[in-house]
Amino acid sequence: MRKIVFAGLVSLLPAAALAQEGDAAPSVDLPMAEVTKVMTAAVDGFIRPGYDAFHEASGKMTTAMKALCEAPSRTSYDAAKSAFRDAAVSWAHIEVVRVGPVIEQNRFERILFYPDRKSTGLKQVQSVLSKADETATDPATLGTKSVAMQGFGALEYVLAGTGSEELLKTKNGYRCRYGAAIAGNIANVAKELSDIWDAPDGIQKAWEQPGPDNPSFRTSGEAITALLGILVHGAEAVRDQRIETFYKGEDKAKFPKQALFWRSENTWPTIRGNLEGLSTLLEKSGMVALLQEKDRPIVAATQAQLKSMIELSAKVAPDLEKAVENAAERRKLDKLLADGKEVIAKLNDGYGGAIGLSSGFSFSDGD
Amino acid sequence: MWRGEAIDRRGFLKAAGITFTAALSPRSLMALERADAVYASGFRAPDGSFGVATVSERGEIIDRVALPARAHGIAYSAATGRTVAFARRPGTFAMVFDPSRQAEPVMISSPEGRHFYGHGHFSPDGSRLYASENDFDGNRGMIGVYDARDKFRRIGEFDAHGIGTHDMTVSDDGELLVIANGGIETHPDFGRAKLNVDRMEPSLVLLDAKTGALIQRHTLPVSLRQLSTRHLDIAEDGRIWFACQWEGERNALPPLAGWFSKGDDLSFAKLPEETTIRLGNYVGAIAVNRRDGVVGLTSPVGGAAVTLDAKTGTVVKEEAVREAAGVAPAAHGIAVSSYDGRFNDTRSKVAWDQHIIRLG
Repeated sequence: MRKIVFAGLVSLLPAAALAQEGDAAPSVDLPMAEVTKVMTAAVDGFIRPGYDAFHEASGKMTTAMKALCEAPSRTSYDAAKSAFRDAAVSWAHIEVVRVGPVIEQNRFERILFYPDRKSTGLKQVQSVLSKADETATDPATLGTKSVAMQGFGALEYVLAGTGSEELLKTKNGYRCRYGAAIAGNIANVAKELSDIWDAPDGIQKAWEQPGPDNPSFRTSGEAITALLGILVHGAEAVRDQRIETFYKGEDKAKFPKQALFWRSENTWPTIRGNLEGLSTLLEKSGMVALLQEKDRPIVAATQAQLKSMIELSAKVAPDLEKAVENAAERRKLDKLLADGKEVIAKLNDGYGGAIGLSSGFSFSDGD
Repeated sequence: MWRGEAIDRRGFLKAAGITFTAALSPRSLMALERADAVYASGFRAPDGSFGVATVSERGEIIDRVALPARAHGIAYSAATGRTVAFARRPGTFAMVFDPSRQAEPVMISSPEGRHFYGHGHFSPDGSRLYASENDFDGNRGMIGVYDARDKFRRIGEFDAHGIGTHDMTVSDDGELLVIANGGIETHPDFGRAKLNVDRMEPSLVLLDAKTGALIQRHTLPVSLRQLSTRHLDIAEDGRIWFACQWEGERNALPPLAGWFSKGDDLSFAKLPEETTIRLGNYVGAIAVNRRDGVVGLTSPVGGAAVTLDAKTGTVVKEEAVREAAGVAPAAHGIAVSSYDGRFNDTRSKVAWDQHIIRLG
């Protein structure tokens, strides 16, 4: 049922002397049945499995952290770092979805507070480690503290930052218990997201069945434009937030220590995770089916470019300080930036134009 | 009559002078000579470049000025002829140009820690330029003040008393700054992402134009906290019209436009349910035609242009306009542009941007 939102002075009486020239003219108008099929595939084939996998990976990370605290050793330490990487990559796959419950109640920032140009997170983590604040060792209470000290960025510092060797020396030491609480907090948020998307009458239904009384999408055009928005914004985030944060080109200033997860050398695994997430969503949703035959090659071309980026990102030196100083490595970075721009254009103008956004997706987002 | 000075196309021609008209192509000159009104709007060209164009009421392009990136709102001083295209958020440039090309362009850069929000307005005498800006690390909207008589030197700033500041304008007597704080937090580190949709704080604010002192601030009731108050225009009687974009549930029917005056509470236009649906819960631009006593609203989301009675707020006309973008007062009624290149009667090979301003 549609909801009338009252403001006290508002009434919704019919207007007199109304001259009307046709209905509204939405820019994207696709068959509802086809769009419903695509939206259902996107939710059931990518979004829900993505959050479920992230929940599982963050649970394993929590278990590995607790094992490290109970029995510090090189083996348990390596296992914890490995579980961190797996959970971070799992997050990277589904991180491309920057709409819906994940951007409500600070969930996104609680999982990952980044970019952090002023090193707010680093300062807070260093502070809590020096004070050994016991309330930060319980995921429940940690979850009520600053978002900058309760997500992946904080845990990376615990595992790979200055003083991390302490993790090998002290059983149930403060640093480790704080790290385990961070992992537990991430797992808690992951469970929330998984549960919200798995509930059959909530956002899952709203996304899968656009319609006049739908709280998310009234029309097929709104739904598919939002899905395209995930891809466009996700591709922009890889280029603008994950690569250009530390490297904008040979002649520009370079900031390798501004890169996400530079300490643990997980920058490229998570960038690959983002790119694989975009590719998987594009494939699993079946968005290509909404295009006319003549426009369909744009999807294959986008996939080919994403595949090329995924492969190239595996070949860049993991030590970013070395990567930005080496001419051969910089050429790879330049190629990734150029390819990223192409992917954005193909989705924005190519796919966007093909579904009816005459000037592309980004141009049409108003303001 | 539209907001600003009561000059028309002849006034624009006179101000432009022989040098300007002599430089126009015959086609552009003809477009200008037969125009009842002249407008400016940002655009994207087919090659992906951006600019701002002067346009006849029929929609024929008269002249173009290249821009380094995409523009959003435009300010025009009838007193000096200076026109400013503001970068789309989170852009950091504002290009000051003279549509008659009698003065060199001036490029304004936002200061460190600020970016433009895409809108601004001149004082009535053209001596001051006010611009909506984001103090992004402080998460507060600001109004930058620039001296138009000294190469647009930044001479100060005022607190906009809200977040997500978007459109702003100046009262006819130059005493008040009128500010629409959309209530949405953004930060250039996150591009154009909306960071607080579940805890928005929209507000409408009046400031003393000379001192920046807060005169009046309206917040919205809890039920409308996701109603982003974004665009403004002022009617002849001083009534301030505002237009909104709803960030809440899509099947809600929020009010999308309203008005207030200094000292008064907010009132919302009584739009019929089908009009709210037609607008897609989203108004992208608003303009008052003072002569006709009407207010134009456009929605790219719904693909619609709606005209309201400026006294009563009732709907007098609705049109389906695919990808409707800007709106401005026409000789009669409202002029409407679209992303797919239509400007009233003419379709050009450009994508018109979100706003139009009338120059003469």
